[in-house]
Amino acid sequence: MRHARIIFDGRELDVDIDTNDRITTSDGEVLEVSLGSDDITWLPPVKEPGTIFALGLNYADHATELAFEPPKEPLVFIKHANTLTGHKQVSYRPDNIDFQHYECELVAVIGKTGKNIRREDAMEYVAGYTVCNDFAIRDYLENYYRPNLRVKSRDSLLPMGPWIVDREDVPDVSNLRLTTEVNGKITQDGSTSDMIFDIPFLVEYLSKIMTLNPGDMIATGTPHGMVDMQPGDTVVCTIENICSLETRIVSEKEYYGDKY
Amino acid sequence: MTANTLVRSKLVCVALNDKSQLTALEGTFNQPPYNKPPTQPVLYYKPRNTWNVDGAEVEWAKDFDGSDAPAMAVGASLGVVIGQEACRVSQAEALNYVGGYTIVSDFSLPEESYFRPDIKGKCLDTSAPVGPEIVPADTIDNPDALTVTIRVNGEQKSAFALADMERSVAELISTISWIMTLQPGEIIAVGFAGDRVPVARGDRVEASIEGVGTLTNTLGGA
Repeated sequence: MRHARIIFDGRELDVDIDTNDRITTSDGEVLEVSLGSDDITWLPPVKEPGTIFALGLNYADHATELAFEPPKEPLVFIKHANTLTGHKQVSYRPDNIDFQHYECELVAVIGKTGKNIRREDAMEYVAGYTVCNDFAIRDYLENYYRPNLRVKSRDSLLPMGPWIVDREDVPDVSNLRLTTEVNGKITQDGSTSDMIFDIPFLVEYLSKIMTLNPGDMIATGTPHGMVDMQPGDTVVCTIENICSLETRIVSEKEYYGDKY
Repeated sequence: MTANTLVRSKLVCVALNDKSQLTALEGTFNQPPYNKPPTQPVLYYKPRNTWNVDGAEVEWAKDFDGSDAPAMAVGASLGVVIGQEACRVSQAEALNYVGGYTIVSDFSLPEESYFRPDIKGKCLDTSAPVGPEIVPADTIDNPDALTVTIRVNGEQKSAFALADMERSVAELISTISWIMTLQPGEIIAVGFAGDRVPVARGDRVEASIEGVGTLTNTLGGA
């Protein structure tokens, strides 16, 4: 089963989506709408977002692309819900920058509280999977707590969704094709099999430091293939058997409107 | 995370905001991996598993092999509590967005490097007590004139005058609000004395600011 949060007919709804793409609300009402309809507004799929852990340099080819040695220990940074937005929503490009790139990533959503979780038990703590696009503004990088919050904590720069797929519906999460298309052209093509630190490792690692809670998320990093994004671009991040996440880039002025 | 935490959704901390610390580290910050001193506020989060309250025990950190960590340290900061949504506010109007003030203690492993996010050092369960309460913003005339003291087992170990911060409260609120929209109840810990105070198992730590109160916590593991 897949789980999403949507606005439909003016109502904010938690919905399940079955294998026939039938959408059912938590009250059992079947919605007469197709998944691709523009009548659906997609919200970030985790209802009560907790701590968002994101991985840097977790694919060897991407680390090389950035001229870093692959890390011997996970490079983890934290994000919060202000960065989240949903499928088919907008993310903004800040004014006066040279390089903003997408990062298509597999996300493990934590479903159960745990600490000191052993790697062999780790998957019991994962409720399901979704896709995120962990945008970065490279102009803003500084060598202090890098990647710093100015790069990675901006409003709207973590689209996620459209839905969460239950863990048991994804037989082998460590061998999924991951692609990104910009304006219809494939610019990133990798596989989750190239991850350096896999989900069981990361759950064990993080839970040795701190308690993991339901609603926490682990965004597991991105393979190589970065290109600059401009207002007007449409970027689609896809992970096989999970979902496709579409985002349109707008200018800072368009995003903030009256607050610009 | 304790249910009665004073923090709503986000606790942002500012590192390296003590002028004397920046001066002392200038040589280091001109070497790799830093290469040059920071040009922007150096920020980190204390995530929800760290949030704690006045009077509560702070867990002693564990190493990855499960044994007790050899050392911990504490810093204390004025906590600026956002009172209304703050999106891209100017420095001049920033203080209008403050709902109140409190105290944030940041227990961690000793700060050794600022190059990568210090998840292992900073994200320990129960390591961010906030309190004892939130005092209304209008009871504090000038937040940059306050002094934060730390006493361990009754003995004063640190006194940090916020006048010695590299960046003022208003400047920080403004700068951060241009990165992320701040929501009511979110808290910014604006600055810590550069010299963090070493603590031991069983220590009683009191962080005080005149007019804001005293936040008292005890280290576990004794």
